[in-house]
Parts: sequence; structure tokens; C-alpha cells
Amino acid sequence: MSAAAPSTSGPVIRLRGVTKTYRMGKDNIVQALRGADLDVYPGEFVALMGPSGSGKSTMMNILGCLDVPDSGSYVLAGEQVRQLNDDQLAAIRNRHIGFVFQTFNLLPRLNAIENVELPLVYGGSARGRTQRAKDALAAVGLGERMHHKPTELSGGQQQRVAIARALLNDPSIVLADEPTGNLDSRSSAEILSIFQRLNDLGKTVVMVTHEPDVAEHCKRIVRMRDGVVSGDELVPQPRRAEDELRNAGAGQSVDLHSGTITHVPAAAR
Amino acid sequence: MKIFDSFRSALQSIIVNKLRSALTMLGVIIGVASVIAMVAVGNGASIQVQQQVLSLGSNLVTVTAGNQNSDTGLRGAGVQSMNLTLDDMTAIQAQLGPTIGAVEAEQSAGRWQVTAAGQNWNSNIVGVTTGYPQVRDWGLATGDFFTDDDVRVYAQVAVLGSTTAANLFGDGVDPTGQTIQLRQVFGGGGGAGGAQRARIVNFKVVGMLDAKGTTFGFSRDDQILVPTTTAQRVLTGRTNSVNTIIVKAASSDEMANTTADVTDVLLQRHKISDPASADFTVTNQNDTLAALNQVTGTFTILLAAIGGISLLVGGIGIMNIMLVSVNERTREIGIRKAVGARRRDILTQFLIEAIGLTGIGGILGILLGWGITVVVKQIPAAANIPIAITAGTVAIAVGVSVAIGVVFGLYPAMRAARLHPIQALRYE
Ligand SMILES: Nc1ncnc2c1ncn2[C@@H]1O[C@H](COP(=O)(O)OP(=O)(O)OP(=O)(O)O)[C@@H](O)[C@H]1O
Ligand SMILES: [Mg+2]
Repeated sequence: MSAAAPSTSGPVIRLRGVTKTYRMGKDNIVQALRGADLDVYPGEFVALMGPSGSGKSTMMNILGCLDVPDSGSYVLAGEQVRQLNDDQLAAIRNRHIGFVFQTFNLLPRLNAIENVELPLVYGGSARGRTQRAKDALAAVGLGERMHHKPTELSGGQQQRVAIARALLNDPSIVLADEPTGNLDSRSSAEILSIFQRLNDLGKTVVMVTHEPDVAEHCKRIVRMRDGVVSGDELVPQPRRAEDELRNAGAGQSVDLHSGTITHVPAAAR
Repeated sequence: MKIFDSFRSALQSIIVNKLRSALTMLGVIIGVASVIAMVAVGNGASIQVQQQVLSLGSNLVTVTAGNQNSDTGLRGAGVQSMNLTLDDMTAIQAQLGPTIGAVEAEQSAGRWQVTAAGQNWNSNIVGVTTGYPQVRDWGLATGDFFTDDDVRVYAQVAVLGSTTAANLFGDGVDPTGQTIQLRQVFGGGGGAGGAQRARIVNFKVVGMLDAKGTTFGFSRDDQILVPTTTAQRVLTGRTNSVNTIIVKAASSDEMANTTADVTDVLLQRHKISDPASADFTVTNQNDTLAALNQVTGTFTILLAAIGGISLLVGGIGIMNIMLVSVNERTREIGIRKAVGARRRDILTQFLIEAIGLTGIGGILGILLGWGITVVVKQIPAAANIPIAITAGTVAIAVGVSVAIGVVFGLYPAMRAARLHPIQALRYE
């Protein structure tokens, strides 16, 4: 479980002058990104903030190789993304990036295990697939509800399934677009504690959020406005989500030394 | 994507939409079923026709009097037409003897009233020569066939068909050595007390033919064979002419040669130089079979075409439903792409789903087609048709079903594969 950064010195993500324009019809042209620059170094935990429509999701999609910039350069782990074809982008999404969405994006017909297995269906070795999915679910505290369908899970639980899915191929980068946007504060804290745990283990995390409370858990806050990066600051003393959960008397106990998160069933809602 | 995952996912989506899948498959099911049933029945019919033609004897070259290929009404005025005679047959025998299997000449003597052992029966009398058993591949159950000597002296001897014998003497009774009385009544008919004259001729039974069954709906076991000469002189009075001369070629491959040789011999004997104006017609059994096969083959193709059209319609139905399915599952496609599915993963998934629909439809169609043939066999008129669904037909049906899945599933699957991940994820 190491952050597979090719070099510890250079940035793992480097955006330079990235633009993205959406055309809806003849006259309706939206410049979602107007030359955004961003460097993210291995092991960082970045919060991406900014008003609605400022281009945060557009940037995340480009970072996650779900979309490509119109112009500018995106170098991911030393590789120029604009030169890659569809299948190469798919392989990067599969192996190197874990993406978590605000709306969870689980397949409704599949149960938790099957949803989590999905990245292994499209890459990696099929051996021990189900076991790996179960381990990943246990690691996010969902050991009990592995055979449930998404509709039978709470929002927080669904998001944890989505995180388990994002982590299955052990990516070095985890991208999350408003992962707590649809969740109450307690579920949000649980999700944040998982991300902090992952970051502690060396993974680079970039997370979009509107809530300053949430952003204070990150090590660095990048602000966007009108399609460009408008501010960049370090958080001197990031808050720890697990401390807050413990203080709140929640049913989460975190074993920092072994690096595993265990769920206490008695406290499960 | 592992092929197993594709199959599992395809099967799941077919099962989730049970009713829709069933309705979609219906076109393919009906198409495959009709092709299977029609081809089976068509093949069976053509096999039956072939068997019946061959049951009259194999490798036969038949000579009949008159030119059936030309307009005799115009030509007949100038050319003196000759009958076929026993001498023609003897000439063929003499000149072609070593190169042919056997030869015989037949002269029909019409229907006669037959009386024996107090029983009355009505039967067809045919004058034949001693080559008959060999030419017709027809052995005797009891007794012996009459001899060349019998033919020479127009002996009043007869060989009975098995049905005729059974009706006159009873089932399982050997008629050999018994005497039968042939009787033909002239004039009157239904007239009351009119001047009726009857001819009565006695024949000695020398043998009985093996039972052969029905050909083209007619029993071939109700007949009485007598020497051709006896039929000519004693029964019909038309001396020396015969209806047909039948030559059995040495082998199927020799039939064309034999046909040409027989034609040459007869043209020479009848002193005709232009084969087009021959006063006889030579038919080759191979040609007859080919003509019949062409008829049944055309019929089979026609039926298969109807099935093919319903398969086409079924295929369009598959395409339609796959397009709907791709549309409905746009978000799913987006999610799969987001976690790393490549174009070909999505393509195979939807292609296999389409192939799954047509494949299952094909298998159900084969079962339904088989069911139809079972029902057809219950129809009395079709009871004797050797209806058979061959492994080849099944293989073709499965192949065609899969091909339809590929052809009509490809476009929807390509549309799915080309979706942009973000646009697919944003789709409502
Ligand atoms: N697929 C699209 N088609 C057309 N316009 C789009 C598309 N995606 C985004 N936009 C537009 O681009 C701009 C930036 O959108 P984006 O989703 O990146 O904003 P955001 O910062 O994530 O906002 P929010 O905080 O509301 O999620 C907006 O004006 C949006 O309407
Ligand atoms: Mg957004």
C-alpha cells in the first residue's frame, strides 16, 4: 500500500493553461475552464473550492481522464494525457485513478460486492476478485451489508461502497467530486475519516467541496473562480475526522497503527 | 472484460426484462421454427418422391412410343410413325446386351374381371417380358417367373401381385399352380338385358411377387403379369406393339451412355436420321429425379425464404429493442466507462446481449420447429413422409440466429461503445 508516485520530487498532477468549452447549440457557448494551472504533489490532500459553475467538476473530470482538455497540457505521473486514445484513458481510469462521485454512481442491479468488483472486471487479475471486493468493503466499514443492493443502503453506506470500488485497483490518486454533498454531517465525517486514512497511507487525494468545515480536513485548499485557479493556501492544522467522531460518541474506532478501520456492529445504524 | 462476465451480465439483463426479452425473441423464434419445420417437411417430401421413383426400379431408361418433345400435330403429317415392338426390344438386347443390366417390354392389357376359387376381383393386367424382375428389382415370393419359352408361345401363364393373390386365394395362401379366369364384358354396361358378350380366358398361376406397397398413392401389389405376347394376341389383339421398353443401365453413371445407345439403335431400326423427329421418346430416370428434385427444391427454397423474411423482421425487432436498451442504460454505460471499461468491453457486452436474445430465440425456435414436425406427422396424408430435422439444419439455424444477433446488435452496441463517459454519466 504505497503511493505509486514515479518520483517524489515532481508533481503527480500538472495542469497548464487548460481550457474547456461547452457548446450547447449555436449561441450558447460556456467556457468552463479558461486556462487553469494546478500542480498536485504525491501525498497531498487537496480541497477544491469555488462558487457553483466555476469549473470544479470540469477540472475534476479532466484530472480523472473522464474528459480531455480543449487546449493546454495535463501531465499525469509524467505522461501527456492529451496524446492518449480512448482505450489508454480507460486503462488509466481503471488502474491509476479512483473516482468518487457526489451521486455515488453505483449500478442499481448489482449488490455491493458486485459493484465494488467492477474495476477488476475491466482490468487487473480476476483471481480472488470477490475476496478483494469483500476486503475493500470491510475496510470502509461495510462488512455487514455486502450482499445488499444500493437501494437497500443509506447514502453514507452507498458512498462507502463507491469508495471501496474506487480503491479496488489500489490507485495512487483518489479524486472525489463533492463526495459529502448528499450526506449528513455524521456520514460526511465518516467519509472524511476514510479519505484521511487513505492519505495517511500515502495516496494523493483531491476533493471538491462547498463546505469550509469539510475543507478544513484537507492539507491544502485550492480556490477556483470563472474557470481559473484563483487562490491556493495550506491548512496549518487540518482537523481529524476520526477525533470528531470519537468525541461525538460515534461507533467508529480507528486503529492508527495497523492502518485498518474497523466497524463496531453494535453502533451500526 | 472476461467473456464470462459479458455472458453473465447479458443473461441478467435478459432475465430482468423477461417479458420484453420474450416478445423481442418472438420474431426470431417464429422465423427459426418456420425455417426448421419447412425445410424438414420439404426435405422429407423430396426424399419420399425419390424413394418412390426408385421403387419402380433403379437406373431405368424408358422408351415410349411417340415423340413427346415435338408437336406431333404438325410433324405427324409427314412422318410415318411406327409403333414400338418386341423386335425393338430384342434388337436392344442383341446390340447392347453386354453394356446394359437388363431390358424388358411392357404392354398394358387393361382391367379384367378375375375369378378364382369362387372369389371375384378386378385387376390390372400387364404384359411383360422375362427381364421384368431384374429391371424392376422385384423378386418373387413364391413360384417362378415365366420363361422366354412362355413368351414365345404366348403361354397363358400369370404372376400375381400379392394383394391380388390375397384377395383371390386368401392371405398367406400360395397361389402357384392354381388357375384363374379372366373375364371381360363388352357392350351393355348398365344396360338392362342388353346384348352382352363376355370373353373368358383361363390362366395358370406360376408365381407371386413380393409385396411392395404404395407408390404415389397407388398400390403396386394389385396387378397380374402375363407374357407380353399373350397380352398382345390373347387379351388385346394388338399384335406386336408394346407401350414401353424399359432398359436398366449397368450403373447410374452409365445412364447417359445407355440413353444415347438406345436412341441410336431405335433411330437406326426406325430409319430416322434426325433425332428431333424420332417417333419414340427416351426418358432417363436421372433426369426425372433431377426434375422432381428441382420442383421440391424450389418449393423448399420458397418456404425457407418466407422463414428468412420473418427472421429479418425478427432481427429488426432485436435492433429496435437493443437501441432502447442502450438508451435506457446510458448511465450504466457511463459508470462502466468511468471505472475503466474500454470501447470493446461495452461493445462485446451489448453484442453478447443481442446474440443471447437471438441465440435463445434460435434454440426455442428449433424446439418449436421440431414440435411442428411432430404435429405434421400426425396428419394422415403426411404420415409416410420421412420428416427429419438434420444436424445440419439445426447448425444452420443456430448459426443464422447468432449471425442475426451480430448483424442487428452491432449498430446499437457500437452506439453504446462510442458514448462519452461524462455525457453518459450526466444523462437523465
Ligand atoms: N456537459 C456540459 N454541457 C454544457 N455545459 C456544461 C457541461 N458541464 C458543465 N457545463 C457548464 O460549465 C460550467 C462549469 O461547470 P462545472 O460543472 O464544472 O461547475 P462546478 O464548479 O462543478 O459547479 P457546481 O459547484 O455547481 O458543481 C457551468 O456553467 C456549467 O453549466
Ligand atoms: Mg460540480
